[in-house]
Amino acid sequence: MWLPGQGRSRFGFTVNYQFDWEPILESRALILEGLATTILLSLCALALASIIGVIVGTLASSRHKGARLGAAAIVELTRNIPLLIHMYIWYVGLAFLRLPPFLCGVLGLSVYSGAYVAEIVRAGIASVPDGQNKAALATGLTRLQALLLVVYPQALRIVAPSLGNVFSQLIKDSSLASAIAVMELTYQASAIEGQTFRTFEIYITICALYLLLVSAVTLALRLLAGPRDDAPAQELASA
Amino acid sequence: MRHARRLLAALTASFLAWSGVAAAQAPQNTLATIKQRGKIIAGVKFDTPPFGFLDENNQPTGFDLDLVHKIADRLGVGVEFVKVTSPTRIPLLVSGNVDLVAASMTRTPEREKTIDFSITYYTGGQSLLVPADSKITGIKDLDGKEVAVQQGTTLEKNIAAVAPSAKVIAFKDYNSAWLALAQGRVDALTGSLNILQGFQKNNPKFKIVGEMFSVEPFGIGFRKGDTELRDAVDAALKDLWTSGAYSSLYRKYFGTDPAVPIETRP
Amino acid sequence: MPDVISQNMPFLLQGLVTTLRIAALTAIGGTLLGLAVGVAVQLRLPFVAGLLRVYIEFVRGTPLLVMLFICYFALPALMGLHVTAEQATVLGFVLFIAAYIAEDVRSGLRSIGSGLVRAALATGLTRLQSLRLIIVPLALRRIIPALFNQYVRLLKFTSVASVIGVQEFTGSAMLVNARVFAPVSILIFVALTYLVLCLLLSSVGRVLHAYLAA
Repeated sequence: MWLPGQGRSRFGFTVNYQFDWEPILESRALILEGLATTILLSLCALALASIIGVIVGTLASSRHKGARLGAAAIVELTRNIPLLIHMYIWYVGLAFLRLPPFLCGVLGLSVYSGAYVAEIVRAGIASVPDGQNKAALATGLTRLQALLLVVYPQALRIVAPSLGNVFSQLIKDSSLASAIAVMELTYQASAIEGQTFRTFEIYITICALYLLLVSAVTLALRLLAGPRDDAPAQELASA
Repeated sequence: MRHARRLLAALTASFLAWSGVAAAQAPQNTLATIKQRGKIIAGVKFDTPPFGFLDENNQPTGFDLDLVHKIADRLGVGVEFVKVTSPTRIPLLVSGNVDLVAASMTRTPEREKTIDFSITYYTGGQSLLVPADSKITGIKDLDGKEVAVQQGTTLEKNIAAVAPSAKVIAFKDYNSAWLALAQGRVDALTGSLNILQGFQKNNPKFKIVGEMFSVEPFGIGFRKGDTELRDAVDAALKDLWTSGAYSSLYRKYFGTDPAVPIETRP
Repeated sequence: MPDVISQNMPFLLQGLVTTLRIAALTAIGGTLLGLAVGVAVQLRLPFVAGLLRVYIEFVRGTPLLVMLFICYFALPALMGLHVTAEQATVLGFVLFIAAYIAEDVRSGLRSIGSGLVRAALATGLTRLQSLRLIIVPLALRRIIPALFNQYVRLLKFTSVASVIGVQEFTGSAMLVNARVFAPVSILIFVALTYLVLCLLLSSVGRVLHAYLAA
């Protein structure tokens, strides 16, 4: 039976290395733990990033110039600092707070992604015709009610695909949390590699797992939202 | 369709990986390559005092580095240092990024399945570093405590074995592990005694406690089957011992004379 | 400026130079590769387009850090070459960003109406000539904002190279921090530097776009 790793390789060398998936199978508990942590990390960060993004994005759409400028400044400040630095800030810079690594990962990811969500929310609010807001106010709703009941739902429908993209990006960005010792998928991969030395096997495995996660999110989004022309939303998402 | 493409992508990558792995471990004569190139490319640590670390001018230095310099001198070639960490040192050796690894690496039977080792050039033991005011006096006091360790080391397994009820947190490099202790995120840092001494040297707020609870013989790592290079390095190491150069190097970094002579191959 | 920063400035500046070097090499290589891939896919070149689509999907679903790990440990063996961490980083970054730029190039090409293409062909230019002289330059001009977006993103994600040991700006700063323990000063300095550089780069992109659109 021909097994990969035996006999002559395609480069014509005589192979003396056994390609070995056994250690990976043995480490599947660690891999699954890492996968679970990655999912949990991404979900928490998505929730927090959404909250931050909605608040800042709404501020950015305010009538008050001060609020708009303030929001824009916050967005520029957080967006132009690398994600890794964000994580280090919470974990190393604010070490006196003794925040657990997982929380630092969530905070770093959500503040960074929150800036992107804020831009998406701002664009979403801006794309709701002004007439909607005026009509809502005319029927006697307060400004806040108009926002919550009329503007947000419509804005949300428009930007939902972009939020899906943010979630996919979050899942991929979560791998950086391994640098601050959060035991997510990439961290576990390094740990397994360090003990078994099976670099190829382990990194291909987690590549496949990340691809699966991201595909699952994209698929779920497509099922929920229905097929649509999301080109303008895509543009927003990659902004 | 997109998803089928993604799965196909993963499979393609695996297939490419097979051939890559095959090419990596084909027997080769690294010594000849080194002589031709005119220098050794050595994987060393930059964050593990006193074996490999940065001095006040942020220049790499250390026992391992000096040892490699001396070996290179005897082989008549120069040296280029590549930074490695415990988790990356063996993969980088196996993939051909470095010719050899002198990175505070303990020789174990498990590792000997993947790589070859030189003769033992240093023997240390594992110990604990704690804050000066800590109540911990040894491994028996580690119940429920958090201990930092480097990923990909024998130390990781040892500490889990001797203190099963301690919470072991593995970091990707010594810098991170040391920072964790210094910032109070963990209660103790475990590592080879001389490494802990290296961290403690400039930081009197920490102390080393407990007896050594493992024996760590360090060896220089080579790719499997790379016998010419290994024999040349072994010869150079023995030469350093007989000429006394090894002892003076040892004194420079560890402050004492070496307790055991360089071990000859058993 | 805090002592810690000024004392270690030469080392930190070296790191910054490394960051800029990696970013520049990646921007050039990634744009060229992304352009080639984008055109090939959009033109539906037989066989090649399908393979390239697989490549794009693979990269876009993979975290950057994992790409770097693969490039540093797996690919040197494939090529039988010795690569430094920096070389592996540039390779990984180029492969990474080219996939995203390819998609931007595709949307740029899509935005050019078929009317213009027909007009170009009608003047007697061959398919290749009209592509080279008219369509691609026009598409490029249109996607300048998207390209600069990618470049700013690139500048930020050079920091990830520090995880595989490249002594670029972030890596150097964290090495210094491990020795001197001044995380607040060092991180503020690092964050501000990236902020200024990214804002500068974005401004250049805006100016260029305005100039070309005029």
